[in-house]
Amino acid sequence: MKLGLLIGLVLLAIVSKSSVGATGQDNYQFANAQQRETFQTLTSQLRCPMCQNQNIADSDAMIARDMRRKVYQLLQDGQSAEDVIAYMKARYGDFVYYEPPLTVATIWLWLLPVLFAGAGFWVLYRRRKPAPVEDMAQRLAQAEKLLKQDKP
Amino acid sequence: MKRTWLVALPLVIFVAVIVFLYQGLSADPRARDSQILNQPLPEFSLPDLMHEERQYTPADLQGEVTILNVWGVWCVTCAVELPYLTYLADNERVKFVGLYFDQDIDPDFGGKTITAVRKEVQTMLSQYGNPYAFNIYDVYRDMSLDLGVTGAPEHFVIDQHGVIRMHHIGDINERVWTTKVGPMYHQLVKENTP
Repeated sequence: MKLGLLIGLVLLAIVSKSSVGATGQDNYQFANAQQRETFQTLTSQLRCPMCQNQNIADSDAMIARDMRRKVYQLLQDGQSAEDVIAYMKARYGDFVYYEPPLTVATIWLWLLPVLFAGAGFWVLYRRRKPAPVEDMAQRLAQAEKLLKQDKP
Repeated sequence: MKRTWLVALPLVIFVAVIVFLYQGLSADPRARDSQILNQPLPEFSLPDLMHEERQYTPADLQGEVTILNVWGVWCVTCAVELPYLTYLADNERVKFVGLYFDQDIDPDFGGKTITAVRKEVQTMLSQYGNPYAFNIYDVYRDMSLDLGVTGAPEHFVIDQHGVIRMHHIGDINERVWTTKVGPMYHQLVKENTP
């Protein structure tokens, strides 16, 4: 009985800890729920330049904290989400935003899967082509003739 | 004719994929294109780390080829490179300026005082060497953000007009100096002396 309670408590501690995450330390005040939501969306879409593949909301790196504060400040100044993304991109490049821009080099990210699927369907279609209908009666007659020729 | 094409196509795709993946093996995942390269220094007005009444602006980094070194006492690699930077400053007359930042003195993040940090800085510089002409104190790390700094140590080679000509992420050791930073520095110094 006691053991079960203990295990329950440990599980509870693990669950509550993981749900708080790194941003739990920040103590930012928002005027309304919408502002908070913009902040949370932005920090989850901006990538930490120091870490390998972590957004700035999840990262506890020094740079991620600084960037979270900058996002907060810019939003408080009345800047839009696009402004904040542009601000970060001007400093840390396209790398900093999880959605790649559409350029000649990146268009293949969207085109290649479509082309690949298209090529697959094309091959399938080519293979499915039904065999040309043959006149069986005529072929039988031809075979018959050959057999007769063979006979002395 | 059609058959050779059918056999060759998978081979061509295979080779292309192999070349692409092989490049990935030796690529540095931390390497990024610096956005600040060949741009003039961003505007700033920041105090000296040791004397807050002394203020610096981009004009203070013009007229002479300078290496701006982003560092802090909390950064281990910075301590490791200090002796070599000091050697370069003493023997090759390289001008280093420190851009100091410390999250712990920021009221939003930590509770250290500037006096405590100055003491730590002095201890560290007397222990490992002091290559710096002066240290700019990036109070809220706005300048670091403007420069696209991701951590420490990082170095910016700035020409006599205050334009950033190289952004080196990581420490400067003998190998990095002879192969990467040194040649750029010497080239800029040569440009500067008519």
